[in-house]
Amino acid sequence: MSLEPRIGVFVCHCGLNIAGVIDVKELTEYAHTLPNVLVAIDNRYTCADPGQEEIKKAIEEHKLNRVIVAACSPRMHEPTFRRCIAEAGLNPYLFEMANIREFSSWCHPSTPKEATEKAKEIVKMAVAKARLLQSLETMEVPVTNKALILGGGIAGISAALDLADMGFKVYLVEKTESIGGHMAQLDKTFPTLDCSICIEGPKMVDVSRHPNIEIISYADLLSVEGFVGNFKVKIRKNPRYVIDENCTGCGECRDVCPIEFPNKWDMNMGVRKAISVPFDQAVPLVYTINMDYCIECYKCVDACGARQAINFDQKPGEVELEVGTILVATGFDIYTPYDDSRYGYGRYDNVITALEFERLILAAGPTGGKVVRASDGKKPKTVAFIQCVGSRDVNKYEYCSGFCCMYALKNSILLREKYHEDVETYILYMDMRTHFKGYEEFYRRAREQGINFIRGRVSQINENPKTKNLLIRAEDTMLGEPIELEAELVVLCTAAIPSKGTDEMSRILNVTRGTDGFFMESHPKLKPLDTPADGIFLAGACQGPKDIPYSVSQGSGAAARAATILSQPTWKIEPIIAVVDSNKCRNTKAKCGICVKACPYGAPMAPEEKPAEINPAMCHGCGTCVAECPSGAITQMHFTDAQIFAQIRAALEKNPGDKILGFLCNWCSYAGADLAGTSRFEYPPTLRAIRVMCSGRVDRDFILEALRLGAGMVLVAACHLPYDCHYISGNVKMKARMEALTKMFEKLGLSPERFRVEYVSAAEGVKFADLIREMTEQMETLGKEKIKAENEKLRPTLERMLSKKK
Amino acid sequence: MKLLKNETENELTIEMILHAKRYSLTLDKTRCTGCGICMEICPREAIEIKKTPKVDGEKAKPPTIDISEEKCHYCGMCAPICPFGALEVRINGEYIIPVINSESFPQLIREIEVDTTKCDLDCVDCEQACPLSLIKVSVRTPNGKEVTHIASRPDKENLKVVVDIEENFCPCCRLCEVKCPEGTIHVEKIFHGSLRINREKCPEGCTDCLDVCPISGALYLSDDGKVYVNELYCVYCGVCKIVCPEEGALELHRTYIRHTPIHSGAWNKALEKLTSTKVMTKELQTKSLTKTQESLKKRFLWRRKF
Repeated sequence: MSLEPRIGVFVCHCGLNIAGVIDVKELTEYAHTLPNVLVAIDNRYTCADPGQEEIKKAIEEHKLNRVIVAACSPRMHEPTFRRCIAEAGLNPYLFEMANIREFSSWCHPSTPKEATEKAKEIVKMAVAKARLLQSLETMEVPVTNKALILGGGIAGISAALDLADMGFKVYLVEKTESIGGHMAQLDKTFPTLDCSICIEGPKMVDVSRHPNIEIISYADLLSVEGFVGNFKVKIRKNPRYVIDENCTGCGECRDVCPIEFPNKWDMNMGVRKAISVPFDQAVPLVYTINMDYCIECYKCVDACGARQAINFDQKPGEVELEVGTILVATGFDIYTPYDDSRYGYGRYDNVITALEFERLILAAGPTGGKVVRASDGKKPKTVAFIQCVGSRDVNKYEYCSGFCCMYALKNSILLREKYHEDVETYILYMDMRTHFKGYEEFYRRAREQGINFIRGRVSQINENPKTKNLLIRAEDTMLGEPIELEAELVVLCTAAIPSKGTDEMSRILNVTRGTDGFFMESHPKLKPLDTPADGIFLAGACQGPKDIPYSVSQGSGAAARAATILSQPTWKIEPIIAVVDSNKCRNTKAKCGICVKACPYGAPMAPEEKPAEINPAMCHGCGTCVAECPSGAITQMHFTDAQIFAQIRAALEKNPGDKILGFLCNWCSYAGADLAGTSRFEYPPTLRAIRVMCSGRVDRDFILEALRLGAGMVLVAACHLPYDCHYISGNVKMKARMEALTKMFEKLGLSPERFRVEYVSAAEGVKFADLIREMTEQMETLGKEKIKAENEKLRPTLERMLSKKK
Repeated sequence: MKLLKNETENELTIEMILHAKRYSLTLDKTRCTGCGICMEICPREAIEIKKTPKVDGEKAKPPTIDISEEKCHYCGMCAPICPFGALEVRINGEYIIPVINSESFPQLIREIEVDTTKCDLDCVDCEQACPLSLIKVSVRTPNGKEVTHIASRPDKENLKVVVDIEENFCPCCRLCEVKCPEGTIHVEKIFHGSLRINREKCPEGCTDCLDVCPISGALYLSDDGKVYVNELYCVYCGVCKIVCPEEGALELHRTYIRHTPIHSGAWNKALEKLTSTKVMTKELQTKSLTKTQESLKKRFLWRRKF
């Protein structure tokens, strides 16, 4: 846009929200005096229809090509006004918002004069930026309307069936030999006590028969490239040594196979043959030879005969897929408490985990449904279930695994139904958690059936070496005294933990994990199925422990989320992205690649001796690479260096020594400041805030320029470390950059409090207000003279440093 | 799942205990000669031969065997191949060898025939000849009662000599056959082959091979102070080769193993390891030859009917 900027400023009263503190008339008049401002109008409610109409009218009348609304937070109404000016024929990115409500009227109600002054400068900064705004075009990328689902548990199955029924091609990739997941291992399910495989089996068969679903089992994810709508995925199919198409699943090979090995599916309680399926209902029903155990006697080859399904020369195969979305449903693993000596798991024969118990009580299990002890093969007379083994333990896994209370109840009811009064059952629990439909009723049913509940945490389990019975020591918190209980079988209800491959998966997919190790969703409430990576969704227990109904609904939910992309022929991508100026990029001369390292999404590519390029579809627009680029070759659209420098200069034109210049990241700190305003936490009107998408965008030069211009204090506020960053690691990169800067300032003799890096979340309005109050106090203590003197001393160095780059 | 290992003076036992099944493999150390045949054929490389360090001035001791409880998966191939019957696999306490039940592995054929009608009542030469003490000779009355003082019995012509041989542990060295004065015993060797000592390579005064040989007489010390082989008795177990300090001083080639008929890749591999590729190929050819002969025979029989 080479035209001379013609700016219109619209100041909103917001009823009395703004006008009650700020002198709107004065502000409007001031705005009119600013360069390139042709119109300045105040409305009672700019966001309402009449207000919007006024903007449209002014655009037409005065041929405006930039619009500024001085009102609330851009996080609130920026989209509204962008739409409004687009309707009037302007590019929506030629709009800027001046936040005079959350950042002025609401947080400085008792100093209306200063609040008005601050509002003026906020508008001034907005005008400064608006003069440099460029129109941006939304990018559209084609969408491959196929989906990839990782993990064939019940969540993955549900998602696959839903997407396939909507008409999308689905690739269901499963690591193990059969789909089904943990649900296929269970006996009965709570709270209805229907047989798990009886309800999951038909679904598994549906998956295998669905024309739109292709199961790729016994396979590993190798790599994922590309971006939303256009992922290229590489998968390795591990050799089964059995040809899928030829195997009829008859099992004659299994019958002749002499070799047995512990069946992982049976929690190593039973065995399977070296050529076998993990369980009878496996889908796909294709046998697999475990070469670790096979002695190659070829008896199976003879048994298979004319079907010729066995091929000992099979090699791993690589499959390349192109998909539009990826659903991650990789589930969970069960913690085995070998490392916790309290429980004696692994040491005592008759201490087992709950998943082992499922295999024991299951009619198709290794003991044929007989609950027996490992030590003597006899049925136990007393069974004790111990809850929260590993979960809700600050030394192990802090979170509640969610479904253990329910399955302990279920298992004790099953024991009661199977052996009636012959088995005495105890449940040692911390709290019984039986929310959700029908669960509390189930709990009551268990109590009515005479199951003994003891509230308390187990301190030690000891084995009687003769009888192999177990002596449980615990504290009964109801009675407030220690108790001892002898049980013939102890079942540990252990924590659900992230499945083994989660770490590798998170690396391949660029999806972050939380402190608990599970995959992290985009937003814990409003985007529970999305990941920060566009087009990649989460379903089921890979995001946190979940029971079956929850996993099923998440599977369907993720399918619906994926369909929002798959159903479109093209997908729109925000144009606020980073762009490389190939003339400036130094990768042509020297091996650089700093942007590649800085990007958490793998968007930039820096091939040798060629300028780096950023894939616009993969760029999330955080701007970290822009700040890291050593030759200033990268520009973040809508947050260009020039725009931000203009804001800095506008903010510090008058009395810079009295001001705190703050760079706030959009997602946490700016939102935290907004909250301080909305909550009416009052703080001194010293802050001049510049919004950046991510703290990673804050260039070293911004700080230098601010201090060169004589800013009293400089603040960089970001999301909390290490996981809160909306762009995965922008705050980490910022931290490293700023630490180097702090060291330099220290040497140059800058008072350390004058440059500050803080971490404020979107929920920490109080913290933000306190921070500004504290910094203002520090600024006053330092005194204008000292600040000025320091600045004078610093200026030559800063000017030298800034000129170097230009 | 529990993996256990228990070693006593006479036995080494490893166990895999699952909730629903338990496996065990026991090595009878008193029978084991350390020949390493089991180690060679183990598909999981679970068996390890440990040479016993030689103490100066003492005789060489046979190597010992160690079995890894983590690697073994109880296929049972080592048990039937052991010429000395030192290994035993049990599943749920029962003596079961999975590979034999599924006909994936053969059993060694120990062909020992004894015609006791020719036996002298007071001859115990075979019992004394057996280097492994596997033969027990007794004299019995017609109703099977054992007689101790033969000289005082009037009914000498009614008494019978019974020769009990613990065949499962017999490596078929033929010592008893040769030592029998009446030629009542006939033994076929299990392993056929050749053992040669390149005496020029032998270190001066070394008798390590002789010291560890389980069959007395298979190796002997000649007047020149060197060890010679008497192939008549040698069972080709190969323990001598393991302890031999000099590479190439001992040459062992097995050319044939007597075993029950089998059609199995696992056996072919084992056979190749124990003998040579040539021998394995030969056996495969013979098998196909017998197969052809069998089918031909069937066809001729059918013709003859008409």
